[in-house]
Amino acid sequence: MKRIELKLDLSMVGPLLDLMRRTADDLAVGPAVQAGVADLDEEWRATWRADLQQGRTEECRSLLAMFDREFFVSGVVAFDEKNAEPVLRACAALRLRLRARELVAISDQVLETGAVDPAQLEPTVEQAFVCYVFLATLQELIIRHLDTAILEG
Amino acid sequence: MRPAATTTETAPAGRTETELALAPLWRVVVLNDPVNLMSYVTLVFRRVFGFDEPTARRHMLEVHERGRSVVWTGLRENAEAYVYTLQQWHLTAVLESDEKN
Repeated sequence: MKRIELKLDLSMVGPLLDLMRRTADDLAVGPAVQAGVADLDEEWRATWRADLQQGRTEECRSLLAMFDREFFVSGVVAFDEKNAEPVLRACAALRLRLRARELVAISDQVLETGAVDPAQLEPTVEQAFVCYVFLATLQELIIRHLDTAILEG
Repeated sequence: MRPAATTTETAPAGRTETELALAPLWRVVVLNDPVNLMSYVTLVFRRVFGFDEPTARRHMLEVHERGRSVVWTGLRENAEAYVYTLQQWHLTAVLESDEKN
């Protein structure tokens, strides 16, 4: 099984974990994106929402599970063919929620180009921005190294 | 009276065939968001629809540049399933009636 280990700077990532947990808790209540089918049967819609919610919860659990006791000793997180897909999805969900809640003051254009000077941001917004970029970096690493495993399901 | 009754009995079957032939088609449309990475969207299209890399990338660029891309057209039930799957991947997708058909 292909496995990627990533050594992270504890002093940089440690402070982001509380924000990631809070955002994951927030995602347990509501979706990262809104449903796009207006005229669904109510019963089917409720099932749809519940399944998506359960999926989000499990994905976030996979992501947060990487930052376990071992991580706080070694600073290492690991991706493999088993957790690549849920972690990739969790990163997408967390980034969408951070953008919607914590980063609303930053325009889409600025956020897409990454032309943000963190020093100019409020401390809480700065932390959210760093978290947003960190999660994107995790996604890029997974896509670069484990895309075959994801495509094969 | 019997011939008339026979005609009445066969009529519903004829209507059913017509309805099936004219079953409306639905489009699965992916909308742009400023958050998801281009590489992520391309991978999702490949995974969900089985597109090859150039096709997935073409749809991704269409979403990015035009704000939307029709990624699949077909029967409602299948289209709903695709919208659901895209939402599992946290892409914004909507269902639209394909009025041309």
